[in-house]
Amino acid sequence: MKPKRSLLNKNRTHLMMIIPIVILFFVFNTLPLIIGAFYSLTNYRGYGSFDFVGGRNYLDLLTDTRVWNSYLFTFKYAIVGTILVNVISLLLALALNSRIKFKSTLRGIYFIPNILGGLIVGYIFSFIFTYIIPAVGQTFNIPWIQDSILADENLAWIGVLIVGVWQAVAMNTIIYISGLQTIPADVYEASKIDGAGTWCTFRKITLPMLMPFISINLVLSTKNMLMVFDQIMSLTKGGPAQSTESISYLIYRNGMDGGQFGFQSANAVVFFILIVTISVIQMRMTNKKEEQL
Amino acid sequence: MKKTKLLLSLFLIIAMLSSVILSGCGSGGDSGKIEIELVQYKPEAVAAFEKIEEGFNSTHDDIHLTIQSPNEAMTILKTRFIREDYPDIIGIGGDINYSNFLDADMFMDISDFEGVDDIKQSYMDIEDELEFIPVDGVYALPYVANAAGILYNKDMFEEHGWEIPTTWDEFIELCETIQDTGIYPLYFGYKDTWTCLAPWNALAVGLAPSDTCAQVNAGETTFSEEYAEVADKIKALLDYCEPNPFAYGYNDACTAFARGESAMYPIGSYAVPQIKSVNPDMNIDSFVFPSGDSEEDNVLHSGVDLQFCVMKNTENKEAVYEVLRYLYEDETIQIYLDDQNAIPCKEGDFELPSMLDGMKEYIEQGRMADYQDHHYPSEMSVDAMIQTYLLDTGDDAAETFLKRFDDEWVRYNRDLIEKVRQYEEEVNT
Amino acid sequence: MRRLGKKQHTNWFLTIVLILGCLTVLFPLYMTVIIAFKNPSEMTNDVAGALSLPSSWSFDNFAEAMRVTNFWSALANSLVITGVTIVLSILIHSIAGYVIGRNMRRKKGYRFLYFYIVSGMFVPFAILMMPLVKETAVIGLANPVGVILLYLVFYMPINVMLYSGYLKNIPLAMEEAAEIDGASSWKTYWKVIFPMMKPMHATVAVLTALGTWNDVMTPLVIMSGSENTTLPLAQLNFQTQFGTNYNLAFASYLLALIPILIFYVICQKQIIGGVANGAVKG
Repeated sequence: MKPKRSLLNKNRTHLMMIIPIVILFFVFNTLPLIIGAFYSLTNYRGYGSFDFVGGRNYLDLLTDTRVWNSYLFTFKYAIVGTILVNVISLLLALALNSRIKFKSTLRGIYFIPNILGGLIVGYIFSFIFTYIIPAVGQTFNIPWIQDSILADENLAWIGVLIVGVWQAVAMNTIIYISGLQTIPADVYEASKIDGAGTWCTFRKITLPMLMPFISINLVLSTKNMLMVFDQIMSLTKGGPAQSTESISYLIYRNGMDGGQFGFQSANAVVFFILIVTISVIQMRMTNKKEEQL
Repeated sequence: MKKTKLLLSLFLIIAMLSSVILSGCGSGGDSGKIEIELVQYKPEAVAAFEKIEEGFNSTHDDIHLTIQSPNEAMTILKTRFIREDYPDIIGIGGDINYSNFLDADMFMDISDFEGVDDIKQSYMDIEDELEFIPVDGVYALPYVANAAGILYNKDMFEEHGWEIPTTWDEFIELCETIQDTGIYPLYFGYKDTWTCLAPWNALAVGLAPSDTCAQVNAGETTFSEEYAEVADKIKALLDYCEPNPFAYGYNDACTAFARGESAMYPIGSYAVPQIKSVNPDMNIDSFVFPSGDSEEDNVLHSGVDLQFCVMKNTENKEAVYEVLRYLYEDETIQIYLDDQNAIPCKEGDFELPSMLDGMKEYIEQGRMADYQDHHYPSEMSVDAMIQTYLLDTGDDAAETFLKRFDDEWVRYNRDLIEKVRQYEEEVNT
Repeated sequence: MRRLGKKQHTNWFLTIVLILGCLTVLFPLYMTVIIAFKNPSEMTNDVAGALSLPSSWSFDNFAEAMRVTNFWSALANSLVITGVTIVLSILIHSIAGYVIGRNMRRKKGYRFLYFYIVSGMFVPFAILMMPLVKETAVIGLANPVGVILLYLVFYMPINVMLYSGYLKNIPLAMEEAAEIDGASSWKTYWKVIFPMMKPMHATVAVLTALGTWNDVMTPLVIMSGSENTTLPLAQLNFQTQFGTNYNLAFASYLLALIPILIFYVICQKQIIGGVANGAVKG
């Protein structure tokens, strides 16, 4: 029975391939996570001695309004951001993948936002929000943009969101473009011959074939948006009036710079469990969609 | 495909090799000399320290000194402590980080170092106040200090004949006068939250006792009581600055002040280089923030900007002291001062930078106290709390803010307060 | 597609829309470039002044930025770290993605493995940082090799997810055919699957390169105190707490942007190369 033996062989080879990789992953991801989770039960400052405090940090999390506010901000930001990023980058990928002139140049340009460093993004967009947009507002007498939105505690998150989406679109577009490449050209040809319109082709062919990539992109952009950090650091530093403190910002700022390593480790553990749950639900949902199609 | 694979693996091997080689170098030579490593946290002073390092090594045959001035030095120091890879000496600021490191028992007592006596007493007092619970011995040697208050455009003041105010009422009057000319009296960069602390510290130093935080920890007073006036006055300043100061950052404020958009800028002497980069010819001087009702109440707030601490783990105490001796020679200090516009903590005749002229008297008389925020835990984000308060236009804003200050203080300093209480009990029994 | 080329002509409408959309990128880029050429004394807060061209187009800022960051040595370090990370990511993560992706539909263990690895991307770096600093120091990996290993682990979740997602659209028949011909699974993978994942290799390369090229935190905490700096680390020289030299910094950032942009342009040709063609030829 040749096939059976080869199947056995195949399984063994697969195991041999995957085991070293899993070990590497365990050592540099899971192990430090476990150690970090241990610190969440202490009042460790990041150096020096520490005491074991049991579940105190977790109890404190529940009553810390600053932490609650950071969760509210982060989720509001992530939900709106994920939708915007995916709609924009899917449209952009479709456009960049169609018969256009200057294809490489255009693709290159739309990629740039993702590689501009935090210092540049912070400076340029602060300038745009603080000086240019209010100047435009005053010239054309548009009342709601006459003041810097970054200085308004109710609107600052939109400013951060604009920059976050602006930067994130590039990466999701790349994934959508590579997804579009998995759709063989003859499928399109067939639908053309059948006389299907653009919208119909998109709905009946492109979208279903793209489903695995939509699923990946949804998970990735949700994750990236939930972990928003760079834009906060470079644009608002959590201000004004602490209205844009994201969870990652708080964990980093107070855990690393401040002396709250233990407490923020507890925050990180809770946050980690929360995102994993969300992502698993998300994956389950899109997987079902994939199977249905 | 085969070719690509071959190329890939070749590239891989070369890259791996080169990274191994790259990581291989960098370890110092083994010359039989005692190696002393100093890490200091001010990368902007790298030029001065390179000069000092060179000077030391050219005069010492038996000791080799390496001074590191890395960026993000506090992160690097903390990670090195985790690795138990300790330098011999560290140069840090006299702030909450020092208090924490000291509390974690990382420093050596250097009270037997003869240079301790040459340091100005006012700075040694500041160091004492940084100790969470009083400890015996000397753990930090102040090197230079900075001072903050109000920077002003000297030419503009002379042109209009404005006088330096010495009381709060005079100050407000001056602001009114300046405002009438169409110039902003003040400029704030409140978008960068930390700048909220500059006027806050300047006001608090005159209006609240310098050991407020310690008193609160000991349960003797509350912030609501001590900071009420500070809170009122910092809010009053908002009438005299540019509209919507929360839209502009530190950099915007430096540029605006340099361009003559405002006459004064409540910030520390550390901002001068940034201002001068925009307007190199600007004539800047400073004065002490007149927070009280009479001139005698004014206090300069000046903190230890750089101090040296010896790590407990050093094996070469004698060599370390030799390095300290060299660092505290007058000529060495002057090298630093010329480079960095700072105030020396050592007694003696040093040349002070001209933008500190207005504060000279206070410095010479030792009429100064530490920045209040050097006692705030950074994770409490008092700067952001002040910004929140300044943005709050409600009637009970001050009350809300001060109550929050008291509540959060207890929360963030719980372990510390407990420690202080235990200490007090021990002392009393 | 090309076969139909005669009938299909350039979509000018979309081209124009895309070009107009570029302004959202080009305007900030324009500001970056003019600031990189200006002197600190030319910086102002008024809009017209900020958008005006520099008084002279001298490359002094670029030369000075290169001097301050010790450009060539930092560039070499960055190139080595990013380059090795990319190559190893493509080799290792594609295997992991393949093995997991092919088996997870049938076997519970692999499905668990998939979620185990993918969930790794949700761990906030801040909680890992201190344990990792300690760990790498103990193993003697507080150097570029350690940084590369960490990158391999950091990017494993997303790359495994990408590869196994891509695999769903590669028919199983391909490798079954090869196996019937008597090829070992190892050989089948390298001969059949690996080449077919070319567009995904390019995508992974771009995404991994992006993450590693600009990363400050990992080299800062892992290699701190060593002589090897990467470009982003060296660029910290331009900012101190109380002052930032935006002109030099922007010049330096523009310089650092060039290699990665070139790399992207090369890679995106590979992305367009398309598995579609490969599959048909197969």
